[in-house]
Amino acid sequence: MPLRFVVAPVGVLILLFAPLLTPAYAAEVSVPVLVPVTGVFALEGGAQRNGALLAMRHAPKDVHVRGEVYDTAVAPDVGVQALERAISRDKPTAVVGSMIGVQLLAMLPILQEAKIPMLTTSGTARITELNNPWIFRFFPADPLAKEVHVRYVVEELKKRRIALVYQTTAYGQSGRAEIVERLKRHNLEPVMQEALEITTRDMSPTIGKIRAANPDVVMLHIHSQPTALFVRAAAQAGLGLPIVAGSAIHQPTTVSLVEPAELTGVCGETNASPISGETPEMRSFLDQYRKEFGSEPDGFAVGQYDGLMMMLGAVAKGARTPAEVQKALASSTYAGLAMTYKSDGKGNMAHSAVIICYDGKSRIPRVAKRYENVTGVLSR
Amino acid sequence: MLQALINALALGSAYALLALGFVLIVNATRAVNFAQGDMVMAGGYVAVALAAVLPVPGVALLPGVIVLMIVLGLVFSLFAYFPLKSRPPVSVFISTIALGIIFQNTANVVFGGAPRGAPPLFSGGLLTVGGVSLSEQSAAVIVVAALLIAGQWWLFARTALGRQLRATAQDRQMAEAIGVRVNGMIAFTFGLAAALAGAAGLLLANTFFVSPTDGTNYIIKAYIAVTIGGWGSLPGAVAGALLIALFEVLYPLLPTLLPLLDRWIPATDTLFSQTMATILLYIAVLLILFFRPQGLFGEVVQRRA
Repeated sequence: MPLRFVVAPVGVLILLFAPLLTPAYAAEVSVPVLVPVTGVFALEGGAQRNGALLAMRHAPKDVHVRGEVYDTAVAPDVGVQALERAISRDKPTAVVGSMIGVQLLAMLPILQEAKIPMLTTSGTARITELNNPWIFRFFPADPLAKEVHVRYVVEELKKRRIALVYQTTAYGQSGRAEIVERLKRHNLEPVMQEALEITTRDMSPTIGKIRAANPDVVMLHIHSQPTALFVRAAAQAGLGLPIVAGSAIHQPTTVSLVEPAELTGVCGETNASPISGETPEMRSFLDQYRKEFGSEPDGFAVGQYDGLMMMLGAVAKGARTPAEVQKALASSTYAGLAMTYKSDGKGNMAHSAVIICYDGKSRIPRVAKRYENVTGVLSR
Repeated sequence: MLQALINALALGSAYALLALGFVLIVNATRAVNFAQGDMVMAGGYVAVALAAVLPVPGVALLPGVIVLMIVLGLVFSLFAYFPLKSRPPVSVFISTIALGIIFQNTANVVFGGAPRGAPPLFSGGLLTVGGVSLSEQSAAVIVVAALLIAGQWWLFARTALGRQLRATAQDRQMAEAIGVRVNGMIAFTFGLAAALAGAAGLLLANTFFVSPTDGTNYIIKAYIAVTIGGWGSLPGAVAGALLIALFEVLYPLLPTLLPLLDRWIPATDTLFSQTMATILLYIAVLLILFFRPQGLFGEVVQRRA
């Protein structure tokens, strides 16, 4: 008997019974992951992706998640194209969104039209100020992060003469405005301000200007690589001032670029420091992340993990459609690894932040100060 | 002030290596190699990769980086130049853009998007000169770059190979007519340009790190250096690179160096910022293009890609 007469019926039988061979799930959802995995924000986007993928692997029993990864690179139009492709191909229940604010601002009208919730770790304040009910942020927004940043410098370190170094990007300028506004509430004004372009490599002019202004602390609100460049240059120049940086300093990949001794007296704000392993749950997350991806997680990874776990929990409780997921995210409270999340009515889910500091001996920071429920939303 | 000056010279020296390679290819092929900045990035990653298997100071890695980058330059010429050499120069510069993007994405796939650091040339500590602390790495970068530039000058001015390279750059047909293997010389030029860029990559990757998209910024610096110094001029490329670095570093420090400026000029923070330094640098480039298109070191401008 020719082989094809055996193969063909077996093939037909496999196709017919395939649904019975795959496990049956109570719910099956699609959550495309739209993050920058190439370009200057690949580091942050990679962490977001890993956090999301780990959450999918830890999905509640009976919930099956499909999570295609789309690279949004850096430009807004690439992000928009990725979102449109994901909507048409994957019929998503929700999407994980890039942490690049300008990309999100371009994506928001499309989300609103498609009525699909987006979970992100972007800090850009504006994304939750546009009355778009489909955006949910699982990372401190700039106003919250900079509130904590300023309070630590002024209230804990008792510093009054502040040198402020920020980036010329949208991220840097909006953060600078938040810092200056909050310093004003303490009747303070920076003694020196310097804007750095993203391509600036040599920090010696900035350090020279800081020295000339005679400050007692340096506040940084700059991206990851410039933060490492600044910290190294300050150490090499013997600047000898405490540095309180933005969230970039908590990223293990940022601090891997500098020697532990160069981190002496360096602190920074962030949502969480997973590598500090403060709780048993965080240590377990840390172990699994390292095992799965062979790298160290940062706050973006844990924020995205928490966000997706909250969403999948809602699915396990019965939310099936994008609208049901949106309603669940907007109305419930979730105790995640980094903090407790609850929407403030605009999609800001994170209301706590921490200050981490390095001791100059290792690259693992300690949590120096925890600021819980800064916005007061969790008490409502 | 001294530390800032040393840092500026170190940065300018590395830019000079990059700009030299850029000019060598312009002279040899009449085409612009837009991947020259990506060669700097590639050299940085070669240093990072070599350091992972051979944990020695950067200066010991330098010969390995140069050899591997020469090979990369030769391979590069086989794809970017030779198949297109009889086409208009625009084809070559588009092919170099394409290969540059391939380099960037390959680096992203192999090393990831996060910046990486190469080892310092020596110990990476501080030197104390006359009571002033200076970065040993910056001083070492200046010395190593100066030696490489001197080596390149010696090769071109004092060796038979250099004469053939110069003959090829000056008049390809005439060089071919007198028996110079022009294609071999052009391939060698690509190798040499890649080696200079790769050395710059190693020198820069300790203090300034290396990431896949760095090349774009470096190629702009090379282009400006060559425009300021004069197209086709090797000393001009070096001088242009040093001028850029000195301007970028020293201009924002003017109010510190000249405190009277603070009294005479309002808003010195904005006026003497790095952003303003960049704006003024590009205005200077425009003025040079308008009023002295042959650059400061004056070769008559020819039609370029």
